[in-house]
Amino acid sequence: MILAVNNHNNKINFSAEDKKKKSLEYNHDTLLNNNFATRTKIGIDKLTNALTVYPAKGLKGSKNANFYEFLTMGTVPYIIGSITMMSVFNSANKHFAPFAKTKASALGQKMALGVLFYGLLKSASKSLVSKPVQMITGIDTERPYAKVIYELPDDINDTDITSIEHHKVFESVEFPRWDLLYGDEAKGQKRNYRYDKIAKKLGMGENLNDSDQEVKPRIKEIVIKTNLAKNISSYLWAATGVGIAFQKPWENFFNVMTFKFWKGKEFKKCLQSFGHNFVESVKDFWKGEGKGFSKHAGKALVGAAALTTVLGVINAVSHKSTNTKNTVNKNEGYVVS
Amino acid sequence: MSTNLIQNYISKPQQPTVKPKPDFDIQQELNNRTFIKPLKGKGKLLSGNILYAPVDTFRDITYSFKALGHAAKGKANDHELGKLNDLGMMAGGLSIAGYLFTKKTTPLTKGMEFVGLGSFFASMAIWPKIAIQLPAYLIHGVNVQKQYQDSFGRRKPFYQDPQFIPWDLYSDKEIDKIGDRLGVPKNIPNRRDFIQEKMRKLAVQNNTLWMLTAGFATPIMSALICNQAEPYLLRYQNNQKNKKADQILTNLNEHAKKYQTNPAQNRIAEIIKKHGNQPINDELIETITNALTADIDSVTSESFGKDLQAILSNGRYSVSDTTAKNVTANLQAQFAGKGFTKEFLEAVLPKEAEMIQFFKDNGFTGNSFQQVEHTEISNKIVEEIVKRANIFNQAHPDDAEDIGYIRELISANRTEEHPIAKALSEVRASLLDETAQSKLKKLAGILDNFRAKNLALDEYALIKVGSAPETVIANYWNNVSQELMKSLGFTTSEIEKVRFNRNLMGELLRGKLEQIASDKSAYDRVMGILVEKVGALNSQIKPNDLASHMLTDTGSQTTYEKEVQTQFNHFAQQLRENGFVRAAQSIIGNGQNENGSYIRIQKAFVEDRLLGVKSSFNRLISTLDLYRRIATDPNKLTHINPDLPLVREVKEELIELCKIVMLEGHSSDHATKFYMLRNPNPSTDTSPLEVAGGKVKNKYLGHAVEGTADISTDKYFYQNAMKFMFMDDIHPDTRAILERNVSIRDEFTRYRQLIIEKLGGDKYFAKPRHLISGKNQTGSDIKFLLTGIAPDEFFFKAGQQAFNTKKWLKMFGGFGAGLLGVTVLAQFFLGRLKTPRQVKND
Repeated sequence: MILAVNNHNNKINFSAEDKKKKSLEYNHDTLLNNNFATRTKIGIDKLTNALTVYPAKGLKGSKNANFYEFLTMGTVPYIIGSITMMSVFNSANKHFAPFAKTKASALGQKMALGVLFYGLLKSASKSLVSKPVQMITGIDTERPYAKVIYELPDDINDTDITSIEHHKVFESVEFPRWDLLYGDEAKGQKRNYRYDKIAKKLGMGENLNDSDQEVKPRIKEIVIKTNLAKNISSYLWAATGVGIAFQKPWENFFNVMTFKFWKGKEFKKCLQSFGHNFVESVKDFWKGEGKGFSKHAGKALVGAAALTTVLGVINAVSHKSTNTKNTVNKNEGYVVS
Repeated sequence: MSTNLIQNYISKPQQPTVKPKPDFDIQQELNNRTFIKPLKGKGKLLSGNILYAPVDTFRDITYSFKALGHAAKGKANDHELGKLNDLGMMAGGLSIAGYLFTKKTTPLTKGMEFVGLGSFFASMAIWPKIAIQLPAYLIHGVNVQKQYQDSFGRRKPFYQDPQFIPWDLYSDKEIDKIGDRLGVPKNIPNRRDFIQEKMRKLAVQNNTLWMLTAGFATPIMSALICNQAEPYLLRYQNNQKNKKADQILTNLNEHAKKYQTNPAQNRIAEIIKKHGNQPINDELIETITNALTADIDSVTSESFGKDLQAILSNGRYSVSDTTAKNVTANLQAQFAGKGFTKEFLEAVLPKEAEMIQFFKDNGFTGNSFQQVEHTEISNKIVEEIVKRANIFNQAHPDDAEDIGYIRELISANRTEEHPIAKALSEVRASLLDETAQSKLKKLAGILDNFRAKNLALDEYALIKVGSAPETVIANYWNNVSQELMKSLGFTTSEIEKVRFNRNLMGELLRGKLEQIASDKSAYDRVMGILVEKVGALNSQIKPNDLASHMLTDTGSQTTYEKEVQTQFNHFAQQLRENGFVRAAQSIIGNGQNENGSYIRIQKAFVEDRLLGVKSSFNRLISTLDLYRRIATDPNKLTHINPDLPLVREVKEELIELCKIVMLEGHSSDHATKFYMLRNPNPSTDTSPLEVAGGKVKNKYLGHAVEGTADISTDKYFYQNAMKFMFMDDIHPDTRAILERNVSIRDEFTRYRQLIIEKLGGDKYFAKPRHLISGKNQTGSDIKFLLTGIAPDEFFFKAGQQAFNTKKWLKMFGGFGAGLLGVTVLAQFFLGRLKTPRQVKND
């Protein structure tokens, strides 16, 4: 019998100096709760690693460098790119003559705000798809887990051979981590309790013999469709953010904008101005100006983003039953043709 | 001895071959044991050939859309979902560009939104290729961005996951070749493994380098691409726009169709709906006039209103009970506060009901009257009031009122001030009946047709010479100003120092001009470029199509003027035929003179724009020529009155003034006849002026012992200055260059004459005799246009523009170049591995 590779109970030790062993938060792959605290923690951890540990490993050409680290480092160009983009439109302005400076700064600051809104809305809008899908189907497509990695030691004295990676249970639709969704019977949990809940939510019935087997294809389908909706709609929401950033009312905000939070009165005025001008900008974005398509471009953009979100959710939660020849006879427990 | 399993397997008797069942037969598979063998891989390495790039792009797009279809059905795989991210990014990018396109107002800025999007995606793709892949390949011989196709036909980066690299796709021969290029010794143990490890290391390091640099490189590279692409896009759009404008003029009727939205007809329809068959009063006349002439100038509109009043009115006014009521109210208002007692007013002024009855008794109510008949009605009312007053006076002798005063109160010369006549003239007897409605509809149709043609003509004029961004003339101006900045040799550091101060730019420019003027070859080069650039305008805006007749002798009307004349004449003719005589005259003038007419406004716009621009460039030629004349022979003042020869100090003052006026003077300086602080008691030295390096060696200027003052009585100083600048012969070098372009030569000659005539004849009350060729009545607008922009101002603005672009380019171009250099140099530190000890050959 071929057994699955499982190393979480192994006491691997490649070095005689056991006292230097790193104490990790997890000693085996662990399902994590998808809440704000965990997401923040994971975000900070990934960002810190993306800016420090992974580039160092990558530049050394470490034998332990892997695809996860490469993907996580993808955050770096996003962050640096955003800052550079802001800089491209603003850094040279201070050298310009007053009139040109005013004109260029108004545009540059809107660009910078656009970059900021792009990132914020792209990230936040994913919840507009994943949360409704979760509420309707019970499937948390963003569920994180901590993966314990055992690395090759760099040398004989290297005892730090474990590390934690933060993945999502459904980040691969071909190889989802189904195993993590099973209940721990040692803790008194029903083995399929998570799958039972999903089956119930999906209207597939209760107290199924093998709810996991029943719902896995549906989960996979829903995850794929949700990913599609998130991918398309999030970029359209991001574009909406850029559109909002390009409205005229922001110019009033830029006049009082300050990052000096220690100057209470000025900073408060800045925040109030931000709120007020955000509302005004959203209104202007919606109303539009000019005539023809220009007048309705804002509405069209929001409409497209909202439509892809709604259609994406509807598509994700709807299921077209296929007439396959082979079906499981639940009463008899075998396949019938 | 251990059992050799392979031998056992080979020696085991083979099962007889059984014909497989049509469907998958597990027994067959078990018997053959083929299932335990891995399937033969179908993966292959992909050789990146730039020639296949379009095919690859098309294949990628097709794949992405297929992936979209699969994902929508919930059947996509990880690779397909990854591609959807690219698709989403493209959709988002297009949405941003599309939205910002609608926010921008000019074709260039609109176009640049899509150039920006394209350049951003291109930068994302190009940076890893030129900064990572190519240097790594050239230095190490390893393609660190190698792609392969897996067994399912999916294209993937070979080194995507360093833990799972499909090395089997590389043959030993290929690996050995790469190893040789990497300088790996031939005879080391496990050479292939060592080469692979070196390749893996290089790939991991380069992928990291890519991630660390892409954030800086992509936006900067994208911005630099945009910066470089912008002039080309502008040039392309300018050509297209110019061609489009030419087509407007050649096919005006066709082009005018897009403006045929019939707003006047729609407005008139609304008015007829609301006021049909109602009396036509002044208010309605005004409403109709506004509806018809919303797009026409105010003078013509006023004439229209008068014509309309005459056409729609029959000159009669209706009288009704309301008229009687209004008369009563007006009389009461007129008598109020004049010291009459309440009893008197009640007894004398007829009450509303009494007045209504009075009107009926006299046969006024229900009839209409001409304005001349109003006096008769008014008199009857006055007599009634006087009659009542007399009765009151007899009954109340102590409170008796003066009858003459009462008569005076009810009289007035102006209808609107007469309490009775005013009320009688309020309601015209004419109605907005079907005849009137039909006239209005016809008129609205005529106006709408003209409006459409006129808007097409406006579009043509705007594209060609409009004072707006990206018109043909604006593009020309920007292009020439930047070219001249280069020709005059302004450096970025020079501009940086003077860019905030026009005076500093003036000084810098003066130095440049003096330097150029003192060197024949430099002068010929710069003047040649200047004349060539000035001449280029005539190729973009042909004098036969559009011209300023003051400067350019076209012989007859331009194409634009002919078309304007045709359309306006036709419009005026139609109006005249329908009784709008005053309006027709406001549109085309009285036949002898167009001044103040609508057609003049239409023609003057283009003429004035061209005059302003061409004068500015002619002034540049003139300035450079003057500096050349001073640099070569400052004593050659041909128009100086021989009876009043100039002493050296006055000459020094004169030349300094001319240099300043040409460089910085505005039309107001001409108007005030050049205010200059001079020495009232100049030296009597008559020695000739000396020059060096284009500058006059001033012996006296600036050294006046007894102070300086503006000598307002010295009209000759002004005249000599003007003659020296604009009447003396131009320098032979300038003449030789101008001979190359006869049309520019003629325009320049005409320009100098106009300056003498129009500006030289400008009478200023404080210096009344300071004239060159008699008093001239030209308006200040023409003088302003003839003066053009001062060269120091011209280069001040051009300098700022050039500086902004160069500063930005220097900052980010320098950073981009530095980043590229560092990224490439980093290759020399990558891929280092300790080479295993070589196997010694015995």
